[in-house]
Amino acid sequence: MSIATIPPGPAGHPQARRTLHQVVWRLLPLAPFAFVVLAWAAYWTIAQPTAATLPAVHDVVAAVWDLAAKGELATHVLASLWRLLLGALLGILTGVIGGFVVGLNRSVSAFLSPLIVFFNAISGIVWLPLVIGWLGIGTALAVFLIWNTVFFIVFQNTVLGVQLVPQVFEQGVQALGGGRWETIRSVILPGALPYILTGVRSGLGFGWRALIAAELVGATTGLGQMIFGATEFHRSDIIIGGCLIIGTIAMAMDRWLLLPIERRTIERWGLVFDATKEK
Amino acid sequence: MSMVSATSASTGLSRPASGPAIVWRQLRAFRILLPFVALVGVWWAIYASADFSPQVLVSPLAVWRAFVNLVTHGVMAEYASTSLRMIGFATALSLIVGVPIGFAVGVNRYAAHTLESFLRFLQGISGIAWLPLAIIWFGFSHTTTLVIVIYTLIVPIIFNTMIGVRAIPETYTLALRSLGASRLRLVRDVYLPGALPSIVVGLRLGMGYGWRALIAAEMLVRQGGLGDLIFGARTFGQIDRIMTGMIVIGCLYIVVDRLIVQPIENLTVAHWGALRQ
Amino acid sequence: MIERDTPSQDKIVVSGFRHFFETADGPVQATDHLDLMIRAGEFVTLVGPSGCGKTTLLKALAGFIRPTEGTVLCDGKPVQGPGRERGVVFQELAILPWRTVRRNIGHGLEIAGVSRLERERTVARLIELTGLAGFEDRYPHELSGGMRQRVAVARTWAADPDVILMDEPFAAVDAMTRLTLQEELVRLCTATRKTVLFITHSVDEAVFLGDRVLVMTRRPGRIKAVIDVPGRAAGRDWESFKIDAGLQAIAEQVLRLVREERGATAPSAAMTHAIGARA
Repeated sequence: MSIATIPPGPAGHPQARRTLHQVVWRLLPLAPFAFVVLAWAAYWTIAQPTAATLPAVHDVVAAVWDLAAKGELATHVLASLWRLLLGALLGILTGVIGGFVVGLNRSVSAFLSPLIVFFNAISGIVWLPLVIGWLGIGTALAVFLIWNTVFFIVFQNTVLGVQLVPQVFEQGVQALGGGRWETIRSVILPGALPYILTGVRSGLGFGWRALIAAELVGATTGLGQMIFGATEFHRSDIIIGGCLIIGTIAMAMDRWLLLPIERRTIERWGLVFDATKEK
Repeated sequence: MSMVSATSASTGLSRPASGPAIVWRQLRAFRILLPFVALVGVWWAIYASADFSPQVLVSPLAVWRAFVNLVTHGVMAEYASTSLRMIGFATALSLIVGVPIGFAVGVNRYAAHTLESFLRFLQGISGIAWLPLAIIWFGFSHTTTLVIVIYTLIVPIIFNTMIGVRAIPETYTLALRSLGASRLRLVRDVYLPGALPSIVVGLRLGMGYGWRALIAAEMLVRQGGLGDLIFGARTFGQIDRIMTGMIVIGCLYIVVDRLIVQPIENLTVAHWGALRQ
Repeated sequence: MIERDTPSQDKIVVSGFRHFFETADGPVQATDHLDLMIRAGEFVTLVGPSGCGKTTLLKALAGFIRPTEGTVLCDGKPVQGPGRERGVVFQELAILPWRTVRRNIGHGLEIAGVSRLERERTVARLIELTGLAGFEDRYPHELSGGMRQRVAVARTWAADPDVILMDEPFAAVDAMTRLTLQEELVRLCTATRKTVLFITHSVDEAVFLGDRVLVMTRRPGRIKAVIDVPGRAAGRDWESFKIDAGLQAIAEQVLRLVREERGATAPSAAMTHAIGARA
């Protein structure tokens, strides 16, 4: 590598150029957010809309700060997250166990399949008018709707995962002397995991939506209720702030909860195909 | 131990399929309905076992009667068509606008990387969370519902189109480029078919979200549609109406998803295989 | 080596094995009255055209299928199902993707309840024997095809079965690695005295590895011919094999028999001579 053969690039030293590239790459995803904020601020300055139609950026920040300071924000966020946690855990547990029991038995799964498809089609918010009569408004209703949503998705994916584990894996373990339980424990459970995780991810996506919808209609606390209650007083700043918080929590859940789990299991085992990863 | 010896002295290599097996296969439609029949049976048994107040549970017969009532009075048709028109229109619009955007973004690596997190964020907010804001802007109107449903549909479509384009192996485009293909030809022969399976996945997902967002929006906006129907029935404690509405919602979703979207998905995936995971 | 078993001690006896399996269009015949015997400590290879029922026979021996007709005996007892005493090495990937090399190899011992210390010792020994040193903590997806099959072989050997059934285990491995694996397998079998049934498409492989080569007819398959191959116990390597006139003659004979079944005419004398003089 003689100096004569490498022409100096615009940034000079090639190493510096590479790091600059890396830094830019990291920062690019922030660009759309920055753009939206800037466009919003620009529009607000120019068009001067009413506070109800479009509050200023700083109004939203102030409103959120205010709620946080009063402790109200924490109350709402925790209420929502608690419902999600309860409903999702119940849904995942029942979905996986049910999915295994049914998935291991072909004739049962064939029989139940149309029912599952149907109930999946009405999962979540559609149950609200019916269940609100049984459970009233509040946490029980929300938890039921979330459980309902998560359960059917996780169940379906678990059944699929169980049935799609290549038979040769089972046979290999049987030829080592493994019986039914050993097969389930060491082959089917890990083998179905990619599908189960897909189901959990999908279930949480739908479940989170069902939660917000449920809180919009029938709750006294929670993020959904927070933003819907603000409608009455035309507090768009609270609404927008609430939406942003909802989006942030959804992202955080995906990135800091699901992604690490995926990374330590199916990614480590080489079982994931991610089209978004840079080639 | 020796097993039962083969029956006939046939010299051929295979015997014709047994009678009962053929009948079982023909009765496929029946097999799909059987679990529902069983469910209705269980429902009836539960209803008959105790004295339920009509506020809590009604008999399958009552639900059937409510259904017939709503249909004959044209109510069901009206509410159902409102919902279907809404989802149909929103889907068409989302595809027409979303797919080109997804393409434009997906073709460029930097654009895709830039927008990926933003799109995920938008997807995380979910259309239904924007409902209060939409109500402030557009009031309790169809516009509100439409805006929410379009939002809910378009984000997954853009996102999945983008992914679909990015997942196309570079060798395909390089191969066609070295054959002298123009930009347009590349879009037609490589990008479009290559991204199609992913687009369809995005469409299915979007419709899953969109249908639910629609029902939820209709519940709040109360300007017609099946969500309005079942939520309104709640006000009057008409459980039979609610359950009828729920069943219709489920059936319609299945019809749309399985008889329209899934065949498209099967066609593309079956033809082009690999890209789906 | 002192034979503990009398020469007439048959480890595996298959008689009148005729198997049909169910397809959507009705039963299809896989094999036609197979009879064969394998003595303890023998390495028997099985060649035949595609679809002749070799794998069906192996599955029946392994216990994955019950014969429609005929008997399959191992150690004088009918085969009822898969078990530890009959190890299987499959053609496709059958080692578990979610276990490291180490844990895959030790799986059979785990099932048998062997103590961890003992297990680790056995696993270490097999890793040495199969040339996997340095890869103990890798996952299968990080390994090449050849290494994966080494793990599969090691796993089966670790469980210490009396009988080992191998279904074209090296078919998907690249040509160079295949030669190495074959030599290693011969060394392993010489050192550990197992009874092996090895299925292959490759005539050279069959003659290289076996004490006896069984040739099967087209589907539905029968045993067409049994050919003895001397000298396996003394060890094998490809260089010597290629210039050994006796072994090459046997290989030509087997090739001719197999090609008859495939429908091709027997090679002319000139061609045979050319093949023999290849090395």
